[in-house]
Amino acid sequence: MSLKHDIEFTLNGVKRRVSVDVTMNALAMLREVIGLTGTKYGCGEGECGACTIQVDGVSLNSCLMFAVDCDGRNVTTIEGLANDSKADALRESFVEHGAVQCGFCTPGMIMQADHMLHKHAHPDEACVKRGLEGNLCRCTGYKKIVDAVVACGAAEVTP
Amino acid sequence: MNVAEKKARVIEPDSLIGKRIPKMDAPEKASGRTRYIHDINLSGQLYGKILRSARIHALIKSIDVSAARALPGVHVVITAADIPDQRPIGVAKDHFPLKVGRVRSQRDEIAAVAAESEEIAEAALKLIKVEYEDLPVISNPEDAIKPGAALIHPEPHGADGSHLHLKQGMSIAHKGKPDNIAMRFDYVHGDVVQGEAESDVVVEDTFKLHYVTHCCMGVSGMIAEFDASGNVLMYSNTQVPFLHKREFAEYLNIDPARIRIIQPPIGGGFGSKLDIYPFEVICLYLARAAKRPVKMLFTREEEFLASPTRQPVLLTLRSGCKKDGTLTFRQVHTLHDNGAYTSWGATTPFVMMQTFSSLYRVPHCDYHTAAVYTNNPYAGSFRGYGNLQATFAIEQHMDMLAEKIGMDPLEFRLKNAQDAGEVTGQGMSFKSCGFKDCITTAAKRSDYARKARENAANRDKPGNIKRGIGMASMLHVGGGAKIYPSDGCGTILKMDDFANVTLITGASEIGQGSETVLSQLVCEELGLPISAVTVVNNDTAITPWDVGVHASRTTFIAGNSAIGAAKKAKSKILAVAAKKYGTAEDELDLRGGFVIQAASGEVVVELSKLLRNLHFQDKAELVMTTFYYEPPSVHQDKGFKGDVSAAYAWGSQVVEVEVDTDTGIVRMTKVTGAHDVGRVLNRLGIEGQIEGGVVMGQGYALTEDLLIQNGVMKNPNFRDYKLVTAPEIPEMDIAFIESMDGEGPQGAKGVGEAPSICIAAATANAIANATGVRMFELPFTPEKVYRALHGQTPKLYWKPWKAE
Amino acid sequence: MTELKHYFAPTSLDQAVECLKDGDVTILAGGTDLTPQSQAGRVKIKHTLMNIRHIPQLTGITLEGREIHIGALATITEIMEHPLVRQHLPVLVEACDHFASDQIRNAGTIGGNICNASPAGDTLIPLLVLDASVELASMPEAKLYRHTMPLSTFFVGPGKTRKSLCELVTGVRIPLPEQGHVARFFKLGTRPALDISTISIGVAGTLRDGVLSNARVAFGAVAPTPTRAAQTEQALEGQRLDAATIEKVAAIARDEVKPIDDVRATAWYRKEMIHNITKRILSHVAQA
Repeated sequence: MSLKHDIEFTLNGVKRRVSVDVTMNALAMLREVIGLTGTKYGCGEGECGACTIQVDGVSLNSCLMFAVDCDGRNVTTIEGLANDSKADALRESFVEHGAVQCGFCTPGMIMQADHMLHKHAHPDEACVKRGLEGNLCRCTGYKKIVDAVVACGAAEVTP
Repeated sequence: MNVAEKKARVIEPDSLIGKRIPKMDAPEKASGRTRYIHDINLSGQLYGKILRSARIHALIKSIDVSAARALPGVHVVITAADIPDQRPIGVAKDHFPLKVGRVRSQRDEIAAVAAESEEIAEAALKLIKVEYEDLPVISNPEDAIKPGAALIHPEPHGADGSHLHLKQGMSIAHKGKPDNIAMRFDYVHGDVVQGEAESDVVVEDTFKLHYVTHCCMGVSGMIAEFDASGNVLMYSNTQVPFLHKREFAEYLNIDPARIRIIQPPIGGGFGSKLDIYPFEVICLYLARAAKRPVKMLFTREEEFLASPTRQPVLLTLRSGCKKDGTLTFRQVHTLHDNGAYTSWGATTPFVMMQTFSSLYRVPHCDYHTAAVYTNNPYAGSFRGYGNLQATFAIEQHMDMLAEKIGMDPLEFRLKNAQDAGEVTGQGMSFKSCGFKDCITTAAKRSDYARKARENAANRDKPGNIKRGIGMASMLHVGGGAKIYPSDGCGTILKMDDFANVTLITGASEIGQGSETVLSQLVCEELGLPISAVTVVNNDTAITPWDVGVHASRTTFIAGNSAIGAAKKAKSKILAVAAKKYGTAEDELDLRGGFVIQAASGEVVVELSKLLRNLHFQDKAELVMTTFYYEPPSVHQDKGFKGDVSAAYAWGSQVVEVEVDTDTGIVRMTKVTGAHDVGRVLNRLGIEGQIEGGVVMGQGYALTEDLLIQNGVMKNPNFRDYKLVTAPEIPEMDIAFIESMDGEGPQGAKGVGEAPSICIAAATANAIANATGVRMFELPFTPEKVYRALHGQTPKLYWKPWKAE
Repeated sequence: MTELKHYFAPTSLDQAVECLKDGDVTILAGGTDLTPQSQAGRVKIKHTLMNIRHIPQLTGITLEGREIHIGALATITEIMEHPLVRQHLPVLVEACDHFASDQIRNAGTIGGNICNASPAGDTLIPLLVLDASVELASMPEAKLYRHTMPLSTFFVGPGKTRKSLCELVTGVRIPLPEQGHVARFFKLGTRPALDISTISIGVAGTLRDGVLSNARVAFGAVAPTPTRAAQTEQALEGQRLDAATIEKVAAIARDEVKPIDDVRATAWYRKEMIHNITKRILSHVAQA
């Protein structure tokens, strides 16, 4: 039997206690143990960003993180962001700008964009492109995604 | 919809056509709520995994699955021996889902396991022992086609070595093939000998096109379940559910009526889901044997190894023109690496042929091709379907011919570009044609002529960064493609008591935005807001037949079908209203949720009220309509001639690059596109299609390269298979030419594949403009460009092969 | 299926090195490499998986005398955003900026990048030309033992270092650059970051009156380890960076490296790039 370990952490604002396989990654824990499937598997090697989550306020690839390493930390997934009114503007911007096609990369894109907007409130196009370089999209050609994030940042300038 | 409060007496005309309409399913997707196949789990579900070949080409001497079967948690282990009723699959029926006796490529399926968890299934695979006897690997199509080459699908021999003369009509999987030629096409119009005699200038070059693959962000997967009566429910990512329903039934030897396919939202398609692949049939076998639902998902590595690719092509093109710039002939030979088995990749010459014969006026054209079996990955269909490869060669020769006769390349193109009303040598009839508008618009918006001149003049100035600009144009089907007996699509439309519409369409949604465009077209007829529409498009038990998402056909075909159903509903509603309010039907119209006087816009009655009146009366009725649209295109004859599409799409793209001569790095700085799309229906959606296609074309031209050495894939990961990332994208300036096609829905034509097609060709022309060096082999990776700039690239020449 | 028997998340350095004593321990820090490698079965986790995240002694970036100390757990993002690093070690900031992606920079640690010993490791080239040392801790007896080792002698092969199984990398020490110090880093690739280097080059030294002394040159992805280029350094030492010298040094650099062919590039191209980029960097340095 594989080795289990109990961890306790905050997930989307709620304290959770779960028992996980020590070798399991955070992505598998979220999807298979906890049942939150908004975080996507795209490559398992940190090359595509579809599994991006935020841990203690920074964005990470959940496929590159051991589940046990969530212990004691503050984890936010796309489902948590969906309950965050500040993120509404970002999500709406993605919708309005046509940044969503097949949508498989979208949760990871939004998690990364949200993190970026916390660091740079009003990013320009070049900054957004650099910020999203770890997130692959095969449908949109990125332009509308970049537009959506830039517009969201710009909207905050004018109250 | 609640319009009860609306009291307006006059409703102003309004239209959704050409507006920026957000994709209807985007809010769900953006909040992570959309359930893709990866996110669906059924109670009692098992997990399936496939053991793939450890060899490239070998005989299977023995398979021992006993240890795997004994592993706790394993329900089923199958090999070919366990499925005596296996039927050959694929376009040429040349392989079995579980391989019998021989493996022919790295991805070949040998055994499969269904277990309680993925981990157990994987552990079980490791316990399966296979003995192989290696065979020589044929990884080069030029070797495969040589007389006496070892055969990939040899004809079977008896135990005594004697040839088994199997029945005619048996599939290749059973009876083998006496050579490695998977498929051939020979096309002729006019007389190329005459064409060459009339030419003042002739050029001939060989072009080499590489392996790339779709890289859908959502990996492949499916869930199969048999009910107590043996009926099959499949959750599948197919792009062609109705064709596959029939085909799966054949593989399971059951009535197609017993197969139901549900398509959850799909994480990218691009043509990859047009064929049935072994894993899907194997998943069905596992579910049948386990009597439990079985879910199978690929890993990303498996997605690379076992997905189809775009077909690699070796192409020798000979073309000529007169001094006055009139094209005289094209003679083309291509050799396609089919890989070990035949999927749709082998049929891409259908589309390539259209470009060779009909992109510009070509009086004489001659095209011969063979797709040959090798031990490489097998190629499927991929957005553009051969047209990227064909256009790469044709549009480079357009520049080269112009240069030879000293004519401006723009003028040369315009001289040979067609107008509406022309019929090509292949029989394609251009009813609407914005070709020349595309060329001039793209050239003007990009300032092509001035930049091309200046770049060429600056070529020899000091500095390691050289700028270049290049153009290419394309022709592609834009009104469906009559390949199957029907190229149609069905629609069922129903309205409820509140004037909401349920649009039930055969057309699958693969992220391209079909559900939104179809809703717009329905709303346009019925005078309703987009929020009044619910689309049902993913269940073969509910939706009417459609041939599938391919050939850029959905907007055109499903759009016309949806309009047909909406027009019938409208006509019924207006008839009811006319009778009730004592006026003529043609004096009424639908607008803003009301029946109105067509001339004045004055409200006659709220639509929902009228519908309730109709429903709750003595002779109660509902508004429910159906429509099946079949485009007025025709099948090709035996010589591949005929007007196969109801409309044709055109596009011209200008690519600007910076070439770093120190490193060979090519940066794509700008793409200016002009596309004849008939008419823009959803501006947001069509921009997204074009931009996505441009960047996919950029990857094909510059970064993506699936490396296969001796049949082994060297880079099955995103680390070394380089998709374009956000910082690399060019500035994009996209213009739409609205040629208002007479047959198209609201004048529109299909555009899904168009934007990827020209980019590689235009990039080659741009690099030549920047450096004076012409490149004939894709992709233009730094090392390849650097070598070419330093004279380290031997001139490619493939001597056309001709069969008897 | 695995020999893993124990998960341990120590909260002090003593606990950690004590745990390392028997050597049968896999160390987890940022996890960006260990997670996918172990998931794919390419790396086998040993008897104990030790997560060092909760050890305060391994964190922080501080000025200690004439040295900048970067704790092993400092993430790439922390390093590139830290005022001390930005002020004194801009070449390290440059390399961090070209490291993988934002998500990976947020998780990946300097200690992990050093211990991975990838020939193409992005931070290793600037650390080599900055004369960095690796700081190691162990518990040979009952007492914590710490020592340092020059980074230039630390790597022995791809993924292999001179760190023993009982040792923990606790940080790196980088001497404060003196007046006139110049340093440059270049990573060749088609993308800004999310890319494994085809080659990378670091050059550093003290530039006074156009003459370069204390020359340091390091190359990535041209040998089994990130490596200092002794012949190239020798050719540069004390030279005035004029066009002829730069060309001569670039040619020596090309001849000095012994790269291999792989999926990313051929050896020939790598040598060409070492020549061309060395030339480009030295021209930049000359203009500094």
